[in-house]
Amino acid sequence: MAAEFDVTARGSPAADPPPGILGKVMRHLLHPFRRGTPPQPQPATGFYTDTSVCIGCKACEVACKQWNQLPADGFAFTGNSYDNTGALSAESWRHVKFVEQFDVLRSLRERVPGNGGGTSEPLAERAEHSPADGRLSLDVIPPPADRWLMMSDVCKHCAAAPCQHACPTGAIVYNEFGNVYIQPDICNGCAYCIAACPFGVITRSHFDGHAHKCTLCYDRQKDGLVPACAKACPTASIQFGPVAELRERAAKRVDELKQRGHAAAHLYGNQRTEAYSELHSFYLLLDRPAVYGLPDDPVNPWVHMRGDYLRTVAFGLAGLLLTLAVFLLAGRPA
Amino acid sequence: MTPSPTATGYAHREVTKPPNWHGLVVWDVMLNAVTTGVFLVAAVGDLARPTAFAPVAAWAYPLALAVLLADLVCLVLDLGNPLRFHHMLRVFKPSSPMSLGVWCLTAYSLPLTGLAACALFGWRTEWLHPALLVVALPFSFGSAAYKGVLFSTTAQPGWRDARWLGAYHVTSALAIGAGVLWALAEWLGASEAAGLLRWATAGLILLGVYPAVRFAVEFRASRVVMVVVTVLSFVLPLVLVATPQAAWVAAVALLVGGYVARSALVHRPHRS
Amino acid sequence: MPGLGATLGRGAATTYQQDLANADCLLVMGSNMAEAHPVGFRWPLKAKENGATLIHVDPRFSRTSALCDVFVPIRAGTDIAFLGGLIRHVIEHDKWFREFVLAYTNAAVIVDEGFRDTEELGGLFSGFDPTDRTYDPQAGHWNYAGANGKTQHKDEGNPGTHGYGHMGGGEQHPQPQKDPTLRHPNCVFQILKRHFARYTPEAVAGVCGCSPEQVVRVAELLAANSGRERTSTIVYAVGWTHHTTGVQIIRAAGILQLLLGNMGRPGGGIMAMRGHSSIQGSTDVATLYDLLPGYLPQPTTDDAHSTLRGYLDKETLSTGYWANMPAFVVSLLKAWYGAAATPENEFGFGWIPRVDGDHSHLVTTDRMARGEMTGYFVFGQNPAGGGMNAGMQRAGLRALDWLVVADWFETETATFWKNDPTGPPPRDVKTEVFFIPAAGSPEKEGTLVNTQRLLQWHNQALDPPGDCRSDAWFVYQLGRRLKELYADSADPRDWPIQALTWDYDRRHPHTLPDRTASRIHDEPDTLRILQEMNGRTADGRLLQTFGELKDDGSTACGCWIYSGVTPEPGRNRANERDRTPGNPVEPNWGFAWPLNRRVMYNRASADPDGKPWSERKKLIWWDEAEQRWTGPDVPDFEPTKPPTYRPPAGATGMAAIAGDTPFIMKTDGLGWLYAAKGVKDGPLPAHYEPIESPVGNSLHPRQPDNPTVRTFPGPLNPLAAAPTADFPVVATTFRLTEHYLSGPMSRFNSWLNELMPEMFVECGPELAAEVGFANGDWVTVRTPRAGIVCRALVTSRIKPLRVDGRAVHQVGLPFHWAFAGETVGGNANDLTSIVADVNVSMHEAKVFAVRVEKGPAGGPGLLPTKRPVAWPTREPTPGTPPAAQPEGGYAHGG
Repeated sequence: MAAEFDVTARGSPAADPPPGILGKVMRHLLHPFRRGTPPQPQPATGFYTDTSVCIGCKACEVACKQWNQLPADGFAFTGNSYDNTGALSAESWRHVKFVEQFDVLRSLRERVPGNGGGTSEPLAERAEHSPADGRLSLDVIPPPADRWLMMSDVCKHCAAAPCQHACPTGAIVYNEFGNVYIQPDICNGCAYCIAACPFGVITRSHFDGHAHKCTLCYDRQKDGLVPACAKACPTASIQFGPVAELRERAAKRVDELKQRGHAAAHLYGNQRTEAYSELHSFYLLLDRPAVYGLPDDPVNPWVHMRGDYLRTVAFGLAGLLLTLAVFLLAGRPA
Repeated sequence: MTPSPTATGYAHREVTKPPNWHGLVVWDVMLNAVTTGVFLVAAVGDLARPTAFAPVAAWAYPLALAVLLADLVCLVLDLGNPLRFHHMLRVFKPSSPMSLGVWCLTAYSLPLTGLAACALFGWRTEWLHPALLVVALPFSFGSAAYKGVLFSTTAQPGWRDARWLGAYHVTSALAIGAGVLWALAEWLGASEAAGLLRWATAGLILLGVYPAVRFAVEFRASRVVMVVVTVLSFVLPLVLVATPQAAWVAAVALLVGGYVARSALVHRPHRS
Repeated sequence: MPGLGATLGRGAATTYQQDLANADCLLVMGSNMAEAHPVGFRWPLKAKENGATLIHVDPRFSRTSALCDVFVPIRAGTDIAFLGGLIRHVIEHDKWFREFVLAYTNAAVIVDEGFRDTEELGGLFSGFDPTDRTYDPQAGHWNYAGANGKTQHKDEGNPGTHGYGHMGGGEQHPQPQKDPTLRHPNCVFQILKRHFARYTPEAVAGVCGCSPEQVVRVAELLAANSGRERTSTIVYAVGWTHHTTGVQIIRAAGILQLLLGNMGRPGGGIMAMRGHSSIQGSTDVATLYDLLPGYLPQPTTDDAHSTLRGYLDKETLSTGYWANMPAFVVSLLKAWYGAAATPENEFGFGWIPRVDGDHSHLVTTDRMARGEMTGYFVFGQNPAGGGMNAGMQRAGLRALDWLVVADWFETETATFWKNDPTGPPPRDVKTEVFFIPAAGSPEKEGTLVNTQRLLQWHNQALDPPGDCRSDAWFVYQLGRRLKELYADSADPRDWPIQALTWDYDRRHPHTLPDRTASRIHDEPDTLRILQEMNGRTADGRLLQTFGELKDDGSTACGCWIYSGVTPEPGRNRANERDRTPGNPVEPNWGFAWPLNRRVMYNRASADPDGKPWSERKKLIWWDEAEQRWTGPDVPDFEPTKPPTYRPPAGATGMAAIAGDTPFIMKTDGLGWLYAAKGVKDGPLPAHYEPIESPVGNSLHPRQPDNPTVRTFPGPLNPLAAAPTADFPVVATTFRLTEHYLSGPMSRFNSWLNELMPEMFVECGPELAAEVGFANGDWVTVRTPRAGIVCRALVTSRIKPLRVDGRAVHQVGLPFHWAFAGETVGGNANDLTSIVADVNVSMHEAKVFAVRVEKGPAGGPGLLPTKRPVAWPTREPTPGTPPAAQPEGGYAHGG
């Protein structure tokens, strides 16, 4: 039973409910079973989030809420740097994280000249060695040791998404752009996708009891528009486009950053690992993923499912056989 | 005075979000164990020793059906939008343990209803009864088997590492079923069935020790829960197997022990 | 603005934001650009991607610092010391751009030998009059040796007059005595060198709290990225202007950029980031009390100003572009008074109100609080929340008879009478408050003039709801009613109102983008207002350029610098959005005054002979074959004046500007390292401590603060005597990206409120440990004016600085909260004081002294005045099928 693409069927004339209460009930009961034609698949699209140029302005959060008409998630001062959103949720599909790395890197700072460590390294001399007609050689400027990392988090749109595997209603589908999309008229709020997501992206809305998350602006993409967050991002930290193209761009950027001394710069989720698929929304990070609140090595829960079933069925059958044996063998007159 | 803590960052936090599963889900998992356990053991008995088990089975199927219905009520009410329960039936997705489970439960409920009706109205035909049993058995087994796998096939702390959770759940369900039927048989005065069920209970409890230990280790269960569950689900019923009059106490111990374990299971992600 | 005006000729950003991408090094100082101008910050990041070095010098490690290569923490209010250190390093180590400085600045000019520098007078310049705390430049011999130009008179040094006129420019002899060897002890270069000699890295570090190496490092980076092949830009914002020394901070930046040769060149210049939307436009069209549109000086009560002739004789500069001032003034009068302006009545010059003193906002507030005012119109401003010493602002509002507030929401200014937690009960407030619902920017059309002098037209998207109307509607309708009221009056004082041209009715149907007719019929036609500013000839033809303006009344022009924006009927260059492939200047996107020049003084991008300094940094050059200046930008020079042109003796106007002097608004065409005129607190910048400072002035121990600063003593505005032990912590205010100004546009929006829900004070763990509070605790921040309760955001981004041999703590206070809105909280502006610098009556919100105390537990106990909108509503968006409902809305799908 494939045909999970009934997005296009919504709003069709067939959806006109027959009159009366009975009609409403019938419509409610039959609505989820209607089927439409799946749209023509398109090249997979996604996000590439370059955290090295994120300025933490949160324009993505606001643009997302405004376009999708999402409610505010409550006014709570967290004290965790400038992050008062706290987490991704059914009401916050973008979340900008702030990581302050100051004293933790003090030892490093003391080794790097001129970054507040009060070194007496004669920088003037070093600068004079730079070529006269080109730009100042970049290796004169080591990356600062004191860092305030910022990152705009979002649904990862996994190529093999646990939430999509989990969804028992078929509400979560891959749309024609290869994005993971929750059909809001199908979801019944079982919350299994929430449990399945290793990135903690999805929650259930207090308003309608359904699971919500980033749609990668499916509606905008269908109209040929860029997702609201990427459109609003002033520094191109959030880039949208065909995934293949984004990966190329990202790889180039990592090389560039490495040349400039950002040794830890790397891409997160651009390639599949043993335990997890590649992400269609992937990141350029300047530190370990865990620092940004991402699992260092995400595991797709489905890699274990077969074995778990096997053990369960084996012990279940063993129990049944044991019972059968007891019933057949015990208490019979010899 | 030590400097005040500043921004805490994210590294120490659990990344995943716990699903909104609380009391109703605990009851769901528990009732799932009871209905499938009671039915499976009764069905095996009914097929293997029909005469001995007839009086017990007559009560067991309606009981299993009643518990299943209660279970389904819990399941539906726990949804974010209970009025959309039927959306579960618009696709069959074996990749999703929940989809598989819903279909198993549905398929299990139909012959079980027939069996319960037969039992209640005293219709006993040569072919219908065993046919219904044979149809219900695999779906009932599936209903018991999917539940644990549903939890272990998630990204939640505790659950994601519990490779033996499904095996624990299913053996525990069978033990509970056997214990409940044993008590039922004692109450009905079906002494032959009671004797058989006594041994089955003991055997199933012992079978469950291995998966239970493996599960407890992976799950990193709290010490209190481990002690309570060990005493109620294993030690006490095993001791009581020797005294037939204590069947009720053993059954209650198994039920309570099973509930405590499942409550700890369901609430585990919320504690992280 | 006089800071840039006195140095370069025009008081505005010298370049455009996109040009920041061309810089090889960017010094961001006095600006939190990434947070306050996030959209523009893409260009510095572009530069960084291209290999440029980004430097941030700031009291706080902000989101800007996070993106910069080098961050230097300094104590708030020590910018001149730091810049002085850079200037000294550049001079002492011979890192300055010799050809540029010799040709394009007044470095070689010899100053009157009577001039005495701060070095000789213990921190004061010659000419200081301690009785009224002002400078007399004549008595102080600030002028050039043998000067015959107009010198700055003492009365012009008085506060309140000639603040911005000529953009701070002043007359100097076009051909003064010079020493091209720069060895003459009284030449500007030698004076400069002596003046900054004491700003050694060690001395600067001792004042600023950074390390001496950091001063050297920044200087070296700037020097290495300046010269023929490279350019560096300095970016500043209100972090420099909101000081009692603000004008001089900007002067110091101008001096540094002139020395390094970074003016008028791609990737060079000084980028003044503006604090509000269209604030550049509001100074251009003279919302300031002492200006007429286009930076013409407002006539004063001075006797010479009683006639047009006298006014023009006194104020017109005889050389440079300002020699055309009579044409600008007469055309302005013709635009305002139309047919009523005739040569016989001096074009109505007598009808223009005269300035009789300082009527700047803060000074007016002081008068208001003393009960000297009766009424007040407030448009798009929130003095009760965002004004300096907001408590005193509210006291002023309570002393009024009536107050009109036009705004989107009921701001602090609209609700001060009932919601002010520090105010009396509403029955004791006598002020009658009228609240006018205003239209939002998408609900009206008009221009915004941004930080780079770019006029950009925005169209109306929809009608404002209900009774909401644009500010232009309100002013236009008010004007019409006033004209009606006085139509029959014979009283001469009503003539100006009778004579005023006031016809901006729409001549075409007012339609919206969806082609429906607007519901509102009496909105004025904003395009007609813009056309009036652009100017017309007597026969009604629109002007192409201000070069066409005449002083005989045959042209009318409402704001001469905007001339050319609507060059012909049906064309509005502010509304043009055409890309020009291959031209990074993008000349067809909007219209930049003057005459669409994007980089001002761009003649300086070529050497004195008219050849580009380098291929890499070419912008405008002399085309020998065509005999004209050419390049991607519009030349900021007479297009056909050859580099070899030398003015004949006695030349006036533009004829007096040589072909190799790029600063055409200056009377000598030169950039002024030393400003003999235009700045009222000294021809050179000197470090003075803020009015409220916990430390003394270690550079000039005898002169702690700026000697010319005016204070407004009184019970509502007490100051902490400096240096003070009671208030040992240095505080600075700052802006968050998440909120806008005092919050009227952001604290009524839950999408923004959730991002920054509460007022907080940003402080370091050391201060928190010393006082004994933890991250997230409630604390009280206190100044002599008030105490506010807010959350503590303890962060390692703020570190104590070593100043004067001891640790000085700094705290940062966002100024976005007060008592109206969905989120409410302590108001940082309740803490600030009213003081006024002598040049532009500027306050000192960016640095003051505070004390931080624990508690009280539970916070300030303020209640929001507006409940957050329950969102999303269960009502579907009208006229939208379920599948097209917003994804997060309740009505989407089923």
